[in-house]
Amino acid sequence: MKKIIISVLVIIALMVPLLPGQELSGDDIIKKVNELFNVESGYAKSKMIIVTTSGSKRTFIYESWQKNKGEKNLVRYLEPRRVKGQAVLMLNNANDIWMYFPRTQRVRKLASHAKKQKMQGSDFSYEDMGSGDSFLEDFNTKRLKDEKLEGKDCYQLELTRKPDSDLSYSRLVMWIIKENFVPVVIDYYDEKDPTHLEKRLVESDIRIIDNIPTAMKIVMYNKNDNTQTVMELLEVRYNIKLDDSMFTERGLKK
Amino acid sequence: MRDKILKKLASWHASHPWRMLIIVSVITVILAAFANQLTVTTRTSDLLPEGDPKVEVFNEILEEFLTATNLVVVVQGEESRIKECADRIAPLLLELKDSTHNEEYQSEVNKLQQKINQLNSRAGNDTEITNLQKKIKNLERKIDLKLFQRIDYKTPFDFLKNHALMLSKADDLENMKDMFTDANLVGLITNLNNSMEKEYVGKEESISTREEEEGAFGFLDGIENLIFTFQKAVKGENLSEEEIHLAVDKLLIGEPYFLSNDKTALVLNAVPNFSLMDRGLLMIAADEAQVLVDDLKKNFPDLSIGLTGQIARERDEQVHSEQSIGFTTIIALIAILIFLMISFRMWVAPLLAITNLIIGLIWAMGVAFLVVGQLNMMTAMLSVLFLGLGIDFSIHLISTFTEGRALGDTIPAAMERAFLKSGKGIVTGALTTACAFLTLIISQARGMREMGIVAGAGLLAILLATLLALPIMLYFREKRIDRRKEKKKTGEKFIQRDISFRFLGNVCSWLSKHYIFTIIISLIITGLLGWQALEIKWDHDYRNMEPKGLESIELMDTIMDRFDLSMEYSMVLTGSISESNELAEKYRELNTVAIAEDISLFLPTEEQQKKRIPHIKEIRRKIQSLRIRETISTDEIPRLTQEINRLQMNIMEMQDMSFLGGKDKVDNKCKRIVGDPEVPDSRNIIRDLIQLLNKNSSKTIAELSRLQRIFSPYFQESIVKMSSTDSVRMENLPSSILDRYANKTRDKFLVTIYPSGSLYDGEYVIRFSEDVNRVSEKTTGMGPLMIAMLDIFGRDGRNAVLLTLLIVFLLLWVDFKKISYALIAMIPLAFGIFWMVGLMNLTGILLSVTTVMGLPLIVGIGIDDGVHIMHRWRIEGNDKIHTVFSSTGKAVLLTSLTTMLAFGSLVFSSFPAWGLFGGALFLGVAACFLTTAIILPGIFGVIERKEKKQG
Repeated sequence: MKKIIISVLVIIALMVPLLPGQELSGDDIIKKVNELFNVESGYAKSKMIIVTTSGSKRTFIYESWQKNKGEKNLVRYLEPRRVKGQAVLMLNNANDIWMYFPRTQRVRKLASHAKKQKMQGSDFSYEDMGSGDSFLEDFNTKRLKDEKLEGKDCYQLELTRKPDSDLSYSRLVMWIIKENFVPVVIDYYDEKDPTHLEKRLVESDIRIIDNIPTAMKIVMYNKNDNTQTVMELLEVRYNIKLDDSMFTERGLKK
Repeated sequence: MRDKILKKLASWHASHPWRMLIIVSVITVILAAFANQLTVTTRTSDLLPEGDPKVEVFNEILEEFLTATNLVVVVQGEESRIKECADRIAPLLLELKDSTHNEEYQSEVNKLQQKINQLNSRAGNDTEITNLQKKIKNLERKIDLKLFQRIDYKTPFDFLKNHALMLSKADDLENMKDMFTDANLVGLITNLNNSMEKEYVGKEESISTREEEEGAFGFLDGIENLIFTFQKAVKGENLSEEEIHLAVDKLLIGEPYFLSNDKTALVLNAVPNFSLMDRGLLMIAADEAQVLVDDLKKNFPDLSIGLTGQIARERDEQVHSEQSIGFTTIIALIAILIFLMISFRMWVAPLLAITNLIIGLIWAMGVAFLVVGQLNMMTAMLSVLFLGLGIDFSIHLISTFTEGRALGDTIPAAMERAFLKSGKGIVTGALTTACAFLTLIISQARGMREMGIVAGAGLLAILLATLLALPIMLYFREKRIDRRKEKKKTGEKFIQRDISFRFLGNVCSWLSKHYIFTIIISLIITGLLGWQALEIKWDHDYRNMEPKGLESIELMDTIMDRFDLSMEYSMVLTGSISESNELAEKYRELNTVAIAEDISLFLPTEEQQKKRIPHIKEIRRKIQSLRIRETISTDEIPRLTQEINRLQMNIMEMQDMSFLGGKDKVDNKCKRIVGDPEVPDSRNIIRDLIQLLNKNSSKTIAELSRLQRIFSPYFQESIVKMSSTDSVRMENLPSSILDRYANKTRDKFLVTIYPSGSLYDGEYVIRFSEDVNRVSEKTTGMGPLMIAMLDIFGRDGRNAVLLTLLIVFLLLWVDFKKISYALIAMIPLAFGIFWMVGLMNLTGILLSVTTVMGLPLIVGIGIDDGVHIMHRWRIEGNDKIHTVFSSTGKAVLLTSLTTMLAFGSLVFSSFPAWGLFGGALFLGVAACFLTTAIILPGIFGVIERKEKKQG
């Protein structure tokens, strides 16, 4: 009985900051955002359009699986035909990246700092795609004045990179919908110059999938290059059973 | 006072016609001589403020580095032929000389020499003699002046062969340690594979930047050439030593020629021996080079050879602009003449008006030379403006004079009537318009300011010509008629025709009576056109302003397509090598920059060199200790095949990653080596080589052994040569490198930034300029100058319009002595500007540097319509709207139409920029007339009704 009472008290204590009418701290909010970003496991089929160096548009369709709250990620390309079967495995929150080439049937490991680079010609970096608990571990959070974005009440947070972090953004500013904790806009500031806006991520078309609010359209605007990459989720499933063997070199080849 | 002067002038004309003729002739001859010296500069920097940092840096670069300008020869065709052609054309370009002024310079030298001799004989002043000797040296330098000092079309190969490793980054040297340990063929391919797997696949960012992509492309080019060399060897083709050495050089140093990605185009960058300021030499150099190129085409009929670059473009633009001025002016003259003949139903008066205008134009151009020296892209268009405005003065004066004569006035009396009745109006109108133009003096941009000065001063010159030259023509004509009449004793009389526009009077009278309807309609039209005006966009596409079909412009696009960069480079001047290096590194990080070149590419800092030395020594030690085998054994062939197959896989993976990453250049290069995965039958040169190797015949082994005997020692020797640890210092650098990146006194250094996109692409040029400006505010060149010009012109245009409106308002206030009347007179203009911009948007004329310049001009031109009508309405009194508009309205319509014809003629200009300017002003003049004829009657209707009510 004592245990039950203690458990209830602990739960109440944890719930207090989240009760309506209570003011949430920046840390509380970012934790909720992080939970949204890092569901235990998930699957998605996505479409991504990039612009090549000669200016033409190229559309990729790929499937991706994630496990352990985004710590493990596997991306496998479906279209266009030329890249079918090509796959990328990201482990340890994208600190280790492998690539599989079906044409040569070889797996190559990319350098650890590749995670800071553009992913496949897009405006997303590997870091943006699979950064695990990075919001919590790499940044200090400060709550700014709430704002309304497109008619929705939003929390505004400022995340400042911790001195010991090696992340490629010095600062992030987020606008998070109060109703569902979806960050609709994230501004990424330059690694060296915290005043220089480098990229802006905009999430839209939010749908509830397996009880989780999910942005079906994500656009990353690169302010430096004046380019943008549009990513659309065609199919999403959460909390599915995924075998660890998928996230291995052998799994990558399958 | 004004009446007194005008009266005096009229009587002077009547009493001393011959004296006046001589005065006018002398003035005309003198000003014609000045006008003849007037040139047109099409340089963008000539439109910007002199004090603008970008202009200052640009001009400094022009003076310090002649390299800041260029003539680019583009040769297109088969690789070996374009290289042959380039090798032929380069020395011929260097031989081009300017001998046009040799005799003049020589005689000047002789005179100076004589002076020196005289001074010597008199033991004259030493300083003076030294100065004269300097002058002689300068003149002698100009005799048979070589037009081009350098032709850049190859990398500084010899320098790189000796210092390549010292110029490589420490990280790259680390990688080379493994790659350059074996010069034997099997070992070399193995090392290449190891390097690729470690470097390329291991570090995806290796091609994530443009610089790295270029590096990967160059590396693949070397591999492609190596594979071809292997193929030729295995096939038993008799490979010369030179060919094999070239394969090694390409693998180690890269392609020596400035070749396009697909190797079908080559550029030669000819650096002039004169500054861009020297227009004469510019024209000669471009023309001479054109003759040379046309001549060479006969020997290379299979190639396409053309000229572009700043020198060729400036020449083409100048030729076009000068032709355009003459052409459009003649069209405008003819159009106005025909129009006036039809309107007045007579031919003498229009002819006199046109003759006077031509004299006025000569005066205006002469004055323009005196006040600004040379015309820029904007002021060059003013001859047409003068036509449109200047003709009005003549029309008014002739009308009153002939009217007086028709009423039986003697010549002196008619002259006095014309000067007093029309002269006053002409002088006031001209002064108001000139004043409006002169307010442009406040502009920061030189182009705008000079346009104001030239327009204001030119208009006053035409006014003066009208008051001095036209009366003489009228006098002599009338004298002749009088004499004829006396002889015939016919007593014939002039018939005064009623040429008032009744229809216009009727329409305006109706609009005045139905003033509520008129005001509502006016507001609706203004609302609609105002909305259109707010929708108007800026046109940043400079191609729309350039003449169509110009080879120099089209070749810019060819270069963009084939080389992935623009030759319209930007530049920045630095005070030290370290600053130059620091800035160049920053530029290279920009996505909008293709290449940033500076001296640090060939001159690393001492610290960098120190860091590199241990790596270089190790490479040297390893390669020197290597034993080159004379033959390849049969056992080695399977390993060689395996390694070549591994190379194929590495390139395929590189290709797949490039495709995913959107790196088309690398992807396309890989396609040339391992084929296109989407085209099953595409050629794979590595697979072909493997098939040849699989035959493993004794002949293959013998040929490969021969290849190794030539290839490997040369490879080893080259690496040893490249791994010199001698410190690279500025004094060791060849002048071809130094002159490119350092000034003559070697204390200023140039960073050249090649854009990755076309500067004719409006959105790109803004991005590029913002990017390079973020690195350094002093970055100059076409892109940043264009954007700076747009900003400054936009601001200047707005300020000038506001100031002009204020001045015009004050003048009108003084004139009408009532604020309300001054404001009413300005209403057609205010609405007219909205209508003009709205109509521009509707007709597809966007805002641009040239069309924005039209706005302050339209303030000066358009204000007259309202003023004339307002004056007449006040004189006539109430219920006289019909009279006001059928008489003065006619004059306003006629002058508007002549001005519109003048501006409309610009549409025929081969310079689209001028066509757009003319089109905008055509619409502006039309809009101001329409607002005068529609809105003013409505307002007059309201006022008259109010006054009637008040009794």
